[in-house]
Amino acid sequence: MSNFREAQSKAHPNKSNTLLSALICVLIFNIGMQIWLLYTALNNALGKHTRIAWPAFIGSLILFLIGFFWLYFIPMGKDKNQQPGKNKYR
Amino acid sequence: MADETNPAPHWQTDFPIERTEATAVSRRDFARYLCLVSGGLAAGSGFVALKAQLAPPAEVVGEHLVCKVNDVPTGGTHAFVIAGSTIPYILIRLESGEWRAYEQKCTHLSCAVYYKPGTGQIECPCHNGFFDARTGEPIAGPPPRPLPSLEVVVKGEDIYVKAFRHE
Repeated sequence: MSNFREAQSKAHPNKSNTLLSALICVLIFNIGMQIWLLYTALNNALGKHTRIAWPAFIGSLILFLIGFFWLYFIPMGKDKNQQPGKNKYR
Repeated sequence: MADETNPAPHWQTDFPIERTEATAVSRRDFARYLCLVSGGLAAGSGFVALKAQLAPPAEVVGEHLVCKVNDVPTGGTHAFVIAGSTIPYILIRLESGEWRAYEQKCTHLSCAVYYKPGTGQIECPCHNGFFDARTGEPIAGPPPRPLPSLEVVVKGEDIYVKAFRHE
């Protein structure tokens, strides 16, 4: 018996594909900002300007937590129990 | 495969892992790896902050005799190490007659820097980094920070170095 979710997935077969790409883009963007924060904190700490280190860490931690809870929205696909012989990597 | 007829658990079957499963990384797993990297970067930032807070680099305490004025010709340099420390420094007598003392480690990758007489520049030969000999500021190349410096005090014929008070 069909339900709303199944009908939605049939009506928009590319939806989870787009969602996953968007999620990965956001994660990569977060990591880019974290690399910049780490570089800035390290550069300033080595130059004896240590006051930026804690705000940079807090910012980096927040970005990590955003990314962590972001994983909740990863679409898991329709078929968790894979059919034998069917490639699940799409 | 006999999954339809054999109810044995996955791990009990022969060759339970397909080649594609072992080599390919799904986008879901890739997203999880990204999150793992993100956690590592956050931990690295935390380590930097903790180290800056708990173990700041030691300051030079007091004045230290380096050499005599006549030991260094104009445009010349003198390498020295402060007692109780292993950090190499260079004392520079600029062509203008001013004295400067800098840490001899490049702020890029810690190569030994040297003064190029007549140019007013300190050069790092490893990656062609250049510093202003008067200020220690990087003027070219990859060094991201100025060279750490010491204040030079000339007392008669003796040259002393000490830490800058304002920093």
